[in-house]
Amino acid sequence: MSSETRDKPDAKYREDEDGGPNPEKDCGHDRGGMGEEVKRKEDRRFITGRGNYVDDIKKEGMLHCEIVRSPHAHANVESINTERAEKMDEVVAVLTAEDLAAHDLATMPTLMDDTQEVLVRDKVKFQSQEVAAVIATDRYAAKDGAERVEVEYDTLDPVVEAEKAKDEDAPVVREDLDQDDNHIFTWETGDEEATEEAFEEAPVTVEEDMYYQRLHPAPIETCGCVADWDQDDEKMTVHMTSQAPHAHRTLFSMVSGIPENKVRIVSPDVGGGFGNKVPIYPGYVVAAAASYVLERPVKWVEERSENIQTTSFARDYDMTGRIAATEDGEITAVDVDVLADHGAYNAAAQPSKFPAGFFKIFTGSYDIEHAHGTVDAYYTNTAPGGIAYRCSFRVTEAVYLIERMVKALAQELDMDPAEVRRKNFIPKEAFPYESSTGWTYDSGDYERALDKALESVDYDELREEQQRRIANDDDKLLGIGLSTFTEIVGAGPGKQCDIAGVEMFDSAEIRVHPTGNATVRIGVQTQGQGHETTFAQIVAEELGLDVEDVTVEHGDTDTEPYGLGTYASRSTPVGGAATAVAARKVREKAKSIASNELEVAEEDVVWDRQSGAFHVKGAPDRSLTIEEIAGASYMNSPPDEEPGLEAVDYYDPPNMTFPFGAYVCVVEVDRETGEVDIRNFYALDDCGNRINPMIVEGQVHGGVAQGIGTAMLEHVTYDDEGNVTAGDFMNYLLPTSMEIPEIETDYTVTPSPHHPIGAKGVGESPTVGSPPAVVNAVVDAMEHAGVTHVDMPMTPDRVWEVLDDAGLAIDPAENMEFDIDVEDASADD
Amino acid sequence: MEFEGAFELEGVEPEDAWVMLSDPIAVRDALKGCRYITPLDDEDFNFDDYEAEEDVETLPEADPEEVADRAFREETDYAALMQVGVGSVKPRFETQVRIGERDDENYVMTATGSGAASSSEFEMESWMEIEETENGSRINWGTEADVSGRVAQLGNRVLNPVADKIVNNFFNNIEQQMTDVEESDEGGVTSRLRNML
Repeated sequence: MSSETRDKPDAKYREDEDGGPNPEKDCGHDRGGMGEEVKRKEDRRFITGRGNYVDDIKKEGMLHCEIVRSPHAHANVESINTERAEKMDEVVAVLTAEDLAAHDLATMPTLMDDTQEVLVRDKVKFQSQEVAAVIATDRYAAKDGAERVEVEYDTLDPVVEAEKAKDEDAPVVREDLDQDDNHIFTWETGDEEATEEAFEEAPVTVEEDMYYQRLHPAPIETCGCVADWDQDDEKMTVHMTSQAPHAHRTLFSMVSGIPENKVRIVSPDVGGGFGNKVPIYPGYVVAAAASYVLERPVKWVEERSENIQTTSFARDYDMTGRIAATEDGEITAVDVDVLADHGAYNAAAQPSKFPAGFFKIFTGSYDIEHAHGTVDAYYTNTAPGGIAYRCSFRVTEAVYLIERMVKALAQELDMDPAEVRRKNFIPKEAFPYESSTGWTYDSGDYERALDKALESVDYDELREEQQRRIANDDDKLLGIGLSTFTEIVGAGPGKQCDIAGVEMFDSAEIRVHPTGNATVRIGVQTQGQGHETTFAQIVAEELGLDVEDVTVEHGDTDTEPYGLGTYASRSTPVGGAATAVAARKVREKAKSIASNELEVAEEDVVWDRQSGAFHVKGAPDRSLTIEEIAGASYMNSPPDEEPGLEAVDYYDPPNMTFPFGAYVCVVEVDRETGEVDIRNFYALDDCGNRINPMIVEGQVHGGVAQGIGTAMLEHVTYDDEGNVTAGDFMNYLLPTSMEIPEIETDYTVTPSPHHPIGAKGVGESPTVGSPPAVVNAVVDAMEHAGVTHVDMPMTPDRVWEVLDDAGLAIDPAENMEFDIDVEDASADD
Repeated sequence: MEFEGAFELEGVEPEDAWVMLSDPIAVRDALKGCRYITPLDDEDFNFDDYEAEEDVETLPEADPEEVADRAFREETDYAALMQVGVGSVKPRFETQVRIGERDDENYVMTATGSGAASSSEFEMESWMEIEETENGSRINWGTEADVSGRVAQLGNRVLNPVADKIVNNFFNNIEQQMTDVEESDEGGVTSRLRNML
């Protein structure tokens, strides 16, 4: 990816005349600008229960939609009998694929240009796939109606794992694509030959297999919508749980044929997205079709198990990593082979030119000359997915790979993992840095971050304690895990990154009102990230307004400028940049108005960030605030200026941003039970300039919790028949406050050189960076006995087996005080 | 998945157990969650509309001839409505059962069936045999079931205890019914019945 700044008309707004805000130095003017811990504006309504989520929306005459789902993972639909359901008084309609086909809505495109049935006509390809829909006057009747829809299936043998899908004799999931195997694509990056050579020459090589298990993003609010076709206006309004309302409007229009100006998507308050709410799901289409046909509002809201079982999963990368190094630990090459399970459709949500997302970031924070990787993707009879769960596309898998491999190398060399990292870091002088897989890293100072982390946790003392425990044959082993990761967030640039063809820019529109407050409309939208606060802070900072006087609106395609949505940590890098640039455009105009008001030439007017006002050069007391200028722009506009004070910016970033972090996880591994206790978790994040440190900290807490869930608990499992065996919260285990330790957060600041306010993204760094820290810690606790890897989730039984194989396990009976016949007890086992 | 087990009926002769287990009404009454078991002789049988007869007498009160008349027959289909609570779900299974073999000499019965609920389906093959023991009889039983959908998602960890509970509860109820019969069976209703079967 190129780091060149494209010659754009608004390039001058990128480089602020005073170098942009530096929250570490000169902010703190107490208007709620950059770097201030402003309390979240949106929390009042959330805390008082007045949020407005999709399921809170009630409309006159609203109907409810329940989806009939297949109990089988792979089966031909022989017949669908809707009569019994239709007989119910409360049931208004039952829709099948035939009905949708009549309106040309039987299929919908996925974001990776595959085609998915909205309702199955011929063949079910995963368990719980959508087969029919019942529309009724209330939710319970719809559910009862769904029970009365009789579907006859002819079951087929399913193929459940990618490894099995490779088999020549494996059942074929997608005959509809005219292919007789399950292969989707093979993707390759880097220089294979040079990498192989490096491996041949290297004195030290290490190989490790690791499976990044299938996860579900599990937002607290499931997916849903209320579709409302207005026959008089011929307009479709859909309130939906969308992370990308504008892109969804375009898709809705393309799929339905309704003109885009007659489609309104509103993303109201959304209870978490994590990538799960980026794709379009059949339920949305069915509800919209039903509303169109019945001319009444139709609500569809998933149950929890429907959300877990049918909406997009994440990860499911089976990886083999290899790393080559000199004897003193200098990494010379890295190579990775991935077997990817994409489920029944290629429906990952990522830029269309990147079938494996940004996986080629797998050289991580390290200066590695040779790198090569392949990803082989397969269809299986499982729910479609492969989305970016709280990460930039496939970065989580890449970071896990390299952070685990660096640890494995340290083990092989018998070196301290911190030292191996330090030795291989991209030095801070090397930025912008071109990686061997073709990225241009914008900025970084990895060594400073690692040093601060090690000092903060008293690393040397931890290492001593670890050795003491081993020497004393303690029941609990100590493990120290490091992760010094680099993320890549903030897609575009638009020429490289697009969603369904639309370039990944983003936008902001700022309107300053006559009485001196402002409304900001942004193209990105929030699912809980706090945009209503942080984007107001950017504007407050750039215009000298008080944050309380800035209102942020988002999520309504009728009023907001077009944007590509909030995911992959792109809001601040792209939408935040658009907001800053739009504010600077407003400031530029304000300056001209100020010169008119102050009766001096424009070049004699200066903006003072600290006071948030314009003044005459050399005469600071002759000043005007933005409020005063706003009044003048409407009431005394200069003859050569348009009245009013507003600006809009569509920002196409010149490059992505590369936030990074240094995480330390300290665990105790119980040799008797296999239980892992996370004693402390230290997370240092460098996301460049921080807009609101409190919100950053909150994001890190949430992300670490999800990362610990990943490492310790979560896995969407299937049995051989394709039944989802972890399809609800009884079996898909999310961490609770009991499993999450106190998290110590920390930071360094290395601003992004190309971003208008020097910011990067942060919301996803902790989910990306924490799992390898936890796994490295658990492996670290047992490495003296030769353990090199434990797959996630590291449940007690799995860890105990590893302990047992390594000869570290303590037989529980040894610690029992009462007298039992140990031999007999184990014989029963 | 496979389920199997054995149940001891104390003080119950194999032939008496056979009679009881051949009576659809007795089986229905003993099987928790079962609304009805009825011969499926009508093509248009409708699970919604069918209303099971309540309070049908079973042995010892029932008329032996009626009991003999309604007993399970070989190669015959039955409709059954079952509602079972499994973990967090309570599917209502509309089930078709076909009685396969009925061996009156060795007390062996086989059945195949399939059922569907809103989000679950199953197919099964079952068998049972009754053998004489020192203090009564033992019923050996087994089922091979293909379960799919929501119930299957719960996995063996949840399903096995539920199946065990249903089956044990069933045989306990049968045993209780048998005890009632034994206590009042002065004229040897069951042996007369056995001859009718």
